[in-house]
Amino acid sequence: MDANPIVLDDGPGDVVVVVVEGEHDIYTAPTLRERLDEAIGRGGGIVVDLTGATFVDSSVLGALLDARRRALEADQGFVVCVGDSVEPGVQRILDITGLVPVLPVVSGRDAAIDAARATPNGAGG
Amino acid sequence: MSTVPDVRLNMPARAEGVAVVRQALAGMADALDFDAAVLADMKMAVSEACTNVVVHAYDDGDGMLEVDMIADDVGLTIRVRDFGSGIHPQVHRAREVPALGLGLPLIAALSDSFELHGSAGRGTEVRMTFEYLRESDPAAANPVTGTVGDDGRWDSDATRGTPAG
Repeated sequence: MDANPIVLDDGPGDVVVVVVEGEHDIYTAPTLRERLDEAIGRGGGIVVDLTGATFVDSSVLGALLDARRRALEADQGFVVCVGDSVEPGVQRILDITGLVPVLPVVSGRDAAIDAARATPNGAGG
Repeated sequence: MSTVPDVRLNMPARAEGVAVVRQALAGMADALDFDAAVLADMKMAVSEACTNVVVHAYDDGDGMLEVDMIADDVGLTIRVRDFGSGIHPQVHRAREVPALGLGLPLIAALSDSFELHGSAGRGTEVRMTFEYLRESDPAAANPVTGTVGDDGRWDSDATRGTPAG
């Protein structure tokens, strides 16, 4: 029923994937924050998968940046991923804010899981 | 191009209304045959303007959000208006997470022109125009500068580079 779901996938074991689909803004940002809190609480790496997201605004970026900061403080990897083709409503805000290397954002869930597992900041250093 | 009627949306300034504004905007842009990239910019900028109203306009949390969409020969102008106490971006209600502070820089970067009007006690109006035929990317002329600061808010003066942490 929910057209804009945010669900946790802990299939990878030591990394929790927060799967974000559909449109997300100030209305769904509190739910995203809850899911991210839950993911951080598991104690391992965190991947946020935006492959199925069609729109994210600055409320979502704020939630992601807060989660990233807390994950790094707790020495947990944090990586965002997108798919091969990214919706303009997601790509544009990532591009113009320059947040791709900051969050960081990588292409593909598998690569993101490896990165979140490998290093605390997922960016290789 | 301007055979589409002007549209006014009036609704309580609540978070759940922002997606409704985006849907109406998408319908308007479709009728006007806007390019998908411009529509994406429009939806983002208007969402940010509406979010500002929801978060900042009304200290007691109750008030109206008004959105006008006016098409002319050049493009689509969208006015997002509140009737609150004016521009005071530092105020936020206790249970809220402070906003990132990226809304206005995004609106400036994504719209072909942009004006902000407001005064104490008379509300705030953000007026954005999106042209049918863009000659250049507005984000090149008005780029979002800076990056996120240590406090979690956007710092427009910060240098982008390797993130801390």
